[in-house]
Amino acid sequence: MASKNPRKQKNVSDTARFGLFLTLPAQVMLFFIVVFPMLAAIYLSLSTWSPLTSEGTFWYQAYKYWGWLSNYWGLVRQKDYLLALARTFIIVLVVVPVEFFIGLGLAFLFLEKFPGKKVFHSIILMPMMIVPAVAGFIFYMIFQSAGPLNAVLSRVLFRDVTLTWLTGKVSALICIMIADIWEWTPLMFLILLSGLMALPEDQINAAVILGANRWQRFKMVIFPLMKPVIVIALIIRGMEAVKIFDPIWLMTAGGPGTSTESISVYMYKHGFKYLNWSWVAAAGILVLILMSVISMFALKPLKEKKQEA
Amino acid sequence: MEQKLFVKILKFILVIVVTVLFLFPIYWMVTMAFKPYTEWTAAGGKIFWYPTKPTLDNFRSIFSKQLKMNPIAGTAIRPVVNSLIVAVVGTAIAMIAGVLAAYGISRYKRGGNLPFSLLQLRMFPPIAIIIPIMIMWAFLRMIDTWFGLVVIYGVVTLPFATWLMKTFFDDIPHELDEAAIVDGCSNAGAFVKVVLPLAKGGIASTALFVFILNWSDFLVALVLTDRRWTTIPVHISKLQSALVGQLYGPKAALGVIAAIPPIVFGILIQKYLVRGLTFGAIKK
Repeated sequence: MASKNPRKQKNVSDTARFGLFLTLPAQVMLFFIVVFPMLAAIYLSLSTWSPLTSEGTFWYQAYKYWGWLSNYWGLVRQKDYLLALARTFIIVLVVVPVEFFIGLGLAFLFLEKFPGKKVFHSIILMPMMIVPAVAGFIFYMIFQSAGPLNAVLSRVLFRDVTLTWLTGKVSALICIMIADIWEWTPLMFLILLSGLMALPEDQINAAVILGANRWQRFKMVIFPLMKPVIVIALIIRGMEAVKIFDPIWLMTAGGPGTSTESISVYMYKHGFKYLNWSWVAAAGILVLILMSVISMFALKPLKEKKQEA
Repeated sequence: MEQKLFVKILKFILVIVVTVLFLFPIYWMVTMAFKPYTEWTAAGGKIFWYPTKPTLDNFRSIFSKQLKMNPIAGTAIRPVVNSLIVAVVGTAIAMIAGVLAAYGISRYKRGGNLPFSLLQLRMFPPIAIIIPIMIMWAFLRMIDTWFGLVVIYGVVTLPFATWLMKTFFDDIPHELDEAAIVDGCSNAGAFVKVVLPLAKGGIASTALFVFILNWSDFLVALVLTDRRWTTIPVHISKLQSALVGQLYGPKAALGVIAAIPPIVFGILIQKYLVRGLTFGAIKK
């Protein structure tokens, strides 16, 4: 019996070959740019080789400086590394929910009609188009002691405010979070608004007719229907926020001291300032392991959504 | 009714306030780009909310080679050209591999774990594997070259290109290309002659979207380029002068230039932004 799929009726081996050919470039790229470097990173991470201390040996001769798990053992006991990890997750855990709630509030505001809605909509989308490094530079300017923020505060408080926001350990971290929130709330807004607009109106109207108040409507009707969209919005933002580097590098470069180093900033500094390559390779592998574990849970809803589609 | 109108106005005011807050940083950069040196900061005791003597000096100082005394004269020309080249070629690479892979995944269910590994790739901080890539590149003499950069761009944005293109291919009814195959078209023929023309709009949108991502990169260019192939964001981060300290004006001018293509393209493909950034999980 002939298969229903005409692709298979055709020439089976031709079809198989064509299918393989289609994904080949992507597979090859992934192999050379991801798999091979990862293997090299694992190899390096098990040595103590670094371009500075290893007297003219090449990276592939790292076996001469074999150290087994000494880098890993050093990393899990190093305060800077653990703090950078913790700080990254704190940033994600603060920034993503804040972006979510502001985005959700805005999305509800934009469900109603008001004059100039399209213009406001376009303006609110602009921050996410700004190159993140440039956004970092903008907020660097804003938080200077002679910058606009202090000028506004001076006017409101009727006295000269000359705070140096980016030199305080905690305030610098908050400034970085503000920059991220500014840049990425629009994305949350956009995702949630498109989710809200896709809601079936009759169900909400039915709830209104049944006498549900606003909160009940949200809890019983809107939220359950919106759940997949909300989950995806949170995962996507969380995924990208973990990698935060550009605004930090432009605003504080990880400083003062190491107090605003995210995991990416930590690795960049140790790799390219201190040239401690095997150490960073190990740090990277640990992060990859951690992210793989997280991604197994985090990407599940995305995968399910794909299979439905 | 009165009450309702009052609430409506209140909400409208809230929208205005939030919009102003979102707009202000951009406003500050754009105005800064046109401010003369004396108006950059409030260090002189007065803050300038807008340029009182607007000038093009900031642009001139980084683009004109005529200003001999200026150490940063003309330094921004190369980065702007570089950014354009690497973003365009990087996009082309991601698109070629992405369009093919997306079609393979959409129609032939090929690629095994490829879709998932592409998603996973997005979760990994690129810095985690950039050291071995740098070693590889140094070995192949690809550091500080355009081709060294674009290959990485192609891979970094491949997940977006693939997933977004897959949604566009999924939107095209299977019956169309299957009919072509039944009519004697080869597999490749059906793809090139039937599906690709239908997916033109999707391909254009995806390419613009990927371009925005490549154009916005900072970290990869920071690591893999040195002097000749620095891109705009890297140049902004390195631009400084011993004479005047922080070069707010010229940096802002460069920032404005960096902001233009993504904003223009972003507005063009507004419809697909959500789809793109959520890997097609949310279709509007």
